[in-house]
Amino acid sequence: MPSAFYDNWTTQLRKGLLELAILNTLGDAALYGYEIVRRLGDVDGLVITEGTIYPILSRLKNENYVETYIEESPEGPPRKYYRLTPRGREELRRMNQHWERLHEAIGHVRKERGR
Amino acid sequence: MIELSDSARQRFDDYLHRLRRTLRGNQADDVEQSVREHVEIALAGIPAPVGAEHLGVVLERLGPPERWLPEEELPIWRRVMTRIANGPDDWRVAYLSFGLFLLTLLLLPLGIGILLLVPAYLVGRAFVELLSERGEPIGARRWLVYPPIAALLFLLFSGFLIGPVVPLLGWGIGEGGFHRLWNPAMDRIRVNAGLTAASIGLWWILYSVVLTILFRPIRFAFAPLLDRLRRRHLWLLSLAGAISLGVGAALLYL
Repeated sequence: MPSAFYDNWTTQLRKGLLELAILNTLGDAALYGYEIVRRLGDVDGLVITEGTIYPILSRLKNENYVETYIEESPEGPPRKYYRLTPRGREELRRMNQHWERLHEAIGHVRKERGR
Repeated sequence: MIELSDSARQRFDDYLHRLRRTLRGNQADDVEQSVREHVEIALAGIPAPVGAEHLGVVLERLGPPERWLPEEELPIWRRVMTRIANGPDDWRVAYLSFGLFLLTLLLLPLGIGILLLVPAYLVGRAFVELLSERGEPIGARRWLVYPPIAALLFLLFSGFLIGPVVPLLGWGIGEGGFHRLWNPAMDRIRVNAGLTAASIGLWWILYSVVLTILFRPIRFAFAPLLDRLRRRHLWLLSLAGAISLGVGAALLYL
């Protein structure tokens, strides 16, 4: 049975990684909000509640990491699409590099322990 | 815009109101627009008017807006309120007790603050009892819970230490009752001092007897602050009373 410590740790970890996940989702193509939510929701254990993604998208927009544009949809209302700005793309590259280093470092520590 | 039933419309309006209360300014406008779009897409294909049960599923997945922002992005007062509203019970109750105690202090000048001390004490004391039942250490929460308990204990103990004697002293000294009653021929200051010391001394002895009789309920009411109190500690109050009574008698008879 998971402990309160474990629950808290995983929650904090997810919160910290959600921005990285959102930026990566936008790495290849522009997406509208609902689609971003759906894609991230499909990743097991990443999204705590779907609504948390929208304030993050709004903040990323204010910080000029993403930009938005409206596009009409044949099914339903016009959709607000998000795409990375050049600044966002550069920041994502740095964040991914940092994540790789972190991932390797933890892997290294775990290997050391296994010796 | 998708057509909602009356109850669904009401629920959605409430939800958006909570969203706007949690987020502020441009961010609230932006996020509200996104949430409206999200809901419309999620409910597309459901026959109109869409009922509250369908909307409820979508809002459930979106989660409560109050939990969307990380705690560090909230102003301090909202962090405290969020902890009270959403935190685990064992912190919520502690914050509630401390919040009532702060209100007690803030409203003291208006004369109604003191009324809030009793609920602050009751919530704090119930919380201590709950933890005791669970066998859980109180830890840092003591700083939130002990102040109202300590404040009420101090007020009651110090109030009863002198309070009941004050009317007697008012009559005896203020209206000259001691001097008239005891011996009008004797020095007024000596009579007043002697009878004051004797009255206080007698009351302290009586007070310590009452406290000794009610020792267990009093210690329970102010646990854990009085956990180390023993009946013999109350003898000190009797001793102080006896000394005061002795000084009074000496002034009156020697």
